[in-house]
Amino acid sequence: MTVKPMNGRERVLAALRGEAVDRTPVCNPTSVATVELMDLVDAPFPDANRKPELMARLAATGYTELGFDTIMPVFSIIQESSALGCKMQWEQKDNWPTVRMREPIWVEPDDIKIPTDFLTHPDTKCVLDAIRILKKEYGNDVAIIGKTMGPWTLGYHCFGVEPFLLMSLDDPGKTKLCLDRMTKATVDFGVAQIEAGADALTLPDHATGDLVSGDYYKRFLRDLHIELVERLPVPLILHICGRTLDRMEYIAQTGMAAFHYDSKNEPAEAMDIVKERIALVGNINNPETLFAKGPEEVRQEVYRNLDAGVPLVGPECAIPLQTSIENLKEIPRAVKDWHRDHSTPN
Amino acid sequence: MASINDISNEFVRNEIDEYIKEPDEREGLIATYAAISSRMQSIGAALVDGQNKTVDALTVEALADGVPALEIMDDGLIAAMRIVGIKFRENFIYVPEVLSCARAMKAGMAHIEPILSASGIKPLAKVVMGTVKGDLHDIGKNLCIMMLRGTGFEVIDLGVDTSADEFLAAVEEHEARLMGMSALLTTTMPNMAVTIEAFIDEGIRDDVKIMVGGAPVSQEFADDMGADGYGKDAMECVALAKRLVKEDAAQEG
Repeated sequence: MTVKPMNGRERVLAALRGEAVDRTPVCNPTSVATVELMDLVDAPFPDANRKPELMARLAATGYTELGFDTIMPVFSIIQESSALGCKMQWEQKDNWPTVRMREPIWVEPDDIKIPTDFLTHPDTKCVLDAIRILKKEYGNDVAIIGKTMGPWTLGYHCFGVEPFLLMSLDDPGKTKLCLDRMTKATVDFGVAQIEAGADALTLPDHATGDLVSGDYYKRFLRDLHIELVERLPVPLILHICGRTLDRMEYIAQTGMAAFHYDSKNEPAEAMDIVKERIALVGNINNPETLFAKGPEEVRQEVYRNLDAGVPLVGPECAIPLQTSIENLKEIPRAVKDWHRDHSTPN
Repeated sequence: MASINDISNEFVRNEIDEYIKEPDEREGLIATYAAISSRMQSIGAALVDGQNKTVDALTVEALADGVPALEIMDDGLIAAMRIVGIKFRENFIYVPEVLSCARAMKAGMAHIEPILSASGIKPLAKVVMGTVKGDLHDIGKNLCIMMLRGTGFEVIDLGVDTSADEFLAAVEEHEARLMGMSALLTTTMPNMAVTIEAFIDEGIRDDVKIMVGGAPVSQEFADDMGADGYGKDAMECVALAKRLVKEDAAQEG
């Protein structure tokens, strides 16, 4: 079947709906911000995480400079944690802002309070304003993707990773209560981004195989993620780093539109598990390929994903800030070349 | 050769039987547990089961009865952490369970460490450990430190978000010949290379063996950036540290 030529937005949204596309979309569900791009548009970290105009300007480079089919303005995973009251380390241009998880703000479920100014706090409002700017400027041509943290990740930030993981073992019921209560933040921030113009949302919820079992994902998160699909009316892209093959079956049951997966998982094996139930995206290795190698190696990884039938291609996670633009540009280039080589002559 | 039935503690016996499949490791653990007292086996069983209060109570009791602190550490705690380490490596358990066992080990070590420190036993070597700049994750690093200390290393813990300058300063100040860097994020891993570069620039790269680890780190990445070794988990970290100390001693002649 021939598909009419699409723009980036049409292409990404069709792929997220599982529909036919003119070519595989190049998608960035996390961040492709780099120091080079910051210099190019004079929008450096940390200000680009805190000022909407700079956030929008830096995010737009993913489309204008790199040629991706998406724009993602939320570079980090800390905006809502800042609004919830976590202690922050905003860092400098060459480092990522982080939450000081060694200084948790909550201990018990009753400590969980979503502040009344959660959506007007400067660090959440910044994202909403940046989405509005991007929607106005690029919204017809390219998919604007927002990002709202899942409750498991918020648990790491607000309770501290170690206390939160120990709680999950010592008192699973209490942990589930915490997750339920934190879900309000996920939904509120997600809905606000949709209202601001986001076409889709990435939902990072780091129940990674490097920390917890696949059974943990099923016990604590699968049903919550099903609920989030019902409550957030745009395509959702679940993001979990690390090894995830042992939970992909459960992830595929959630109804999420896509799963942003890590290079630790073999594309063909992952496709075999999820089949048509959820679109896979990502998998291009960050530290060893995009950061440390050259365009030829990037191309090989893109081809490996396309050969396996992965429906959206992109980096596995937020890329290191020192990654070269040339390597990132190679992703859309390789996708186009692969499709040219695989097109059926009329 | 000892057999599994020589282990008196049923819980330990079942753990080894069910989870330790690699023949050398199985044989080694059976030999270890067959040779240690049932009292130390009970401490080990409680540790593997994550029962920190039980480990605490049994350690206090054993010390009060005159069991040497070193015996409790080696036979009660470290031997059990070997089982935990293998179960973790083979994905029978994950980080929450390991943290629970580590909490139990800490409960025992809280009573043992002051006694060992006062006894003046010479450490195997000094190790400077830290999570790299921009990274605030420390679970893996802390597990490594706990196991290194338990094995007899003196560890200088620089905590999280450690700059290259802080690593340099600590290595020089403590005259450490071994250093470990951890990173959990693909975005902060490049700071391992930045730190190694700083040691080269300062002209002291050859004076210190550098090991790296962390969930996204691989042997290939470690090799690419010029580290001396990569450890996948806390057990490998200890084995690597021992090997690097030996290599260092051999090079020193």
